[in-house]
Amino acid sequence: MSRLWPIVRREYLERVRSKAFIIATVLGPVLMGGLMVIPVLVAGKAGKPLRLAVLDDSGTLAAPVEAQLTKLRRDDNPRFVIEPPPLGSPETRERELKAAVIEGRLDGYLHLPADSLQKASASYFGKNVSNMIDLRMMEDAVSDTLVGLRLTGAGLDPVKVRDLTKKVDLKTIRLTAEGEREDRGAAALFSITLLMMLYTTVLMWGQAVLTGVIEEKSNRVVEVIVSAVPSTKLMAGKLLGVGAVGLTQFLVWVLSLAGVSLAGASVAAGSAARMPEVSPLLLGAFVLYFLLGYLLYSALFAAVGASVNTTQEAQSLAFPVFMPLVVGVMFFPMVLNSPDSTLSTVLSLIPLLTPLLMFLRITVLVPPMWQIALSIALTGASIAGVLWVAARIYRVGILMYGKRPTFPEILRWVRTR
Amino acid sequence: MSTDDAIRLTHVAKSFSGHQAVKDLSLAVPRGSVFGLLGPNGAGKTTTLRMVMDILAPDAGTIEILGAPAGPGSRDRVGYMPEERGLYPRMVLDEQLLFMAEIKGTTRREAARRLPAWLERLGLADWAKKRVNELSKGMQQKAQFIATVLHEPQVLILDEPMSGLDPVGMDNMRNVLLDLKRQGTTLVLSSHQMETVERLCDRVALIDRGEKLLDGAVSDVKKEHGKNTLVLAFDGDGSFLASAPGVANVTDFGRYVEVRMTEGADPQILLREAAARLRVSRFEIVEPSLHDIFVERVTANAKAVA
Repeated sequence: MSRLWPIVRREYLERVRSKAFIIATVLGPVLMGGLMVIPVLVAGKAGKPLRLAVLDDSGTLAAPVEAQLTKLRRDDNPRFVIEPPPLGSPETRERELKAAVIEGRLDGYLHLPADSLQKASASYFGKNVSNMIDLRMMEDAVSDTLVGLRLTGAGLDPVKVRDLTKKVDLKTIRLTAEGEREDRGAAALFSITLLMMLYTTVLMWGQAVLTGVIEEKSNRVVEVIVSAVPSTKLMAGKLLGVGAVGLTQFLVWVLSLAGVSLAGASVAAGSAARMPEVSPLLLGAFVLYFLLGYLLYSALFAAVGASVNTTQEAQSLAFPVFMPLVVGVMFFPMVLNSPDSTLSTVLSLIPLLTPLLMFLRITVLVPPMWQIALSIALTGASIAGVLWVAARIYRVGILMYGKRPTFPEILRWVRTR
Repeated sequence: MSTDDAIRLTHVAKSFSGHQAVKDLSLAVPRGSVFGLLGPNGAGKTTTLRMVMDILAPDAGTIEILGAPAGPGSRDRVGYMPEERGLYPRMVLDEQLLFMAEIKGTTRREAARRLPAWLERLGLADWAKKRVNELSKGMQQKAQFIATVLHEPQVLILDEPMSGLDPVGMDNMRNVLLDLKRQGTTLVLSSHQMETVERLCDRVALIDRGEKLLDGAVSDVKKEHGKNTLVLAFDGDGSFLASAPGVANVTDFGRYVEVRMTEGADPQILLREAAARLRVSRFEIVEPSLHDIFVERVTANAKAVA
């Protein structure tokens, strides 16, 4: 044990003191926060109102549609400014409107064909047709107007009908043992964010082990180290040291998140877009499944690192190793939709997929305790097995230079005494 | 009494996927000796040293270090500087050296107490806070040496200890090694620099193709190889010497030639022959150098195998 400690400490300190770590740790949450906040801020800002014209072939629809559009507001400002359509034959009017849009005097125009009341059809011509929110507002406005006109035509009162046919606003409330809370899609987003964080960190620190092993080998420092401590201790010390760096990074992130939440809570109090809360249970699960995933994959990466001479050589061998992680991420929509299905359950119990998928299930709907326990037991057993095999490959591989070993050769290393 | 030996190998063998690197090797390095382990490239020296360090396990035979079987317990008592030097390039020098001593079982505090004297002695005191990749090759070599001795091993195994050093550095290193010997450290040097071996070692072993060709005190080895080497300096065309009767081999060193006579040949006959044809300025019967013994035995072994 006394020999393990200096190795763990060296791995830990050399990495934690490095500029790369400090930058990644500080910048990680800033970037992540930025990626989540900036689009919301940008999307919320609607910019200038849209200048529209309504080209009405029927001659009766323009007035009510325009009235409806001018009522619409966004960010407390009128969203649409209606310009009068040009005069002339339908063809010249349309030609002039198109020219106006191209030249930028108008943002777009609505075309209501003569039969639009019967066929419920209308077209929008604009330079920008990807402004979803504006288009949606426009569609609703035209639709409401046309439906209202048809109802009146049939002798019904549009206001009354609207009241009577009011659609249900389905609130989603997540029930947990701790209580209930309203949730509008934030939970799914949150699960995905955590999943991606787990994926990134397992991969990142696994790769750190890989490059660490290759560097020791190419610097030839490894022979000096193994003349002092057995190779298994060197490998164990490396895995523990790098894992501790990963946990340190989480700690920094969690503390800064807690700080931001506390500061943000007072500002955002009463705001509808509440941050989903990070329960201690979830945090514990995150750390647990990170450690399981990290140990499983980094042991494999250590074996890969010991079998090759350069980082370039490692690429082709490393891919099959982290392939299951990618597969795990690919399964997330399915698991998210039906976290309790047989397939989700089975997938989340496969050790290479457990760290991502069992954790994902926990974020959505806490699976039965026996499944969690089984996933931990299975992954733990796999880690023990993988560590044993990896240690044997590592032991031989770190002193092998030259030609990259073939797979049968690596198997022979595992079998040698 | 086995405890008189610092290192003792008994019938050790090791092979890698069909290739026999070491065959039935028995060796004894007496305590307090300076032992030269010689052999051509690929002879099995590195494999042997790795087995002594318990990095590799022998397929057969036993290895004892200071009277105890080689294993995790013996590692701390031996310092090993492999042929391929290795330090962490981005690590600060003193941190690195303390780390190396710690994994050899010395406390950090004790290593820190010993370190300044070593840095001073090898001229690295001003570099203690530099990263290793900022050091010159020679300085890295010295740093590697400190990493090997900081835990004060009783046995020191050095693979090419002089490589990368300038003449001043070599003299300095030689003095350091002799001081360690005086303090009772057993030294094992593996080197191709025969001059170094000849000056420092009191015992040598020559291995080739995994087998021991010779082994013993340097003086005995030289005696055994007879008084049939002579040095000849002259003016004139000495090309006839190579084919003269009783001559086994001639090595031209430019200012003089070294002639090895065949077994039982009389050097006096050659002297008369030479005096008749050349102006001889020096004629001396000498002990063969380790260099010559090395070349002769390894070449003969290659012929015997082929």
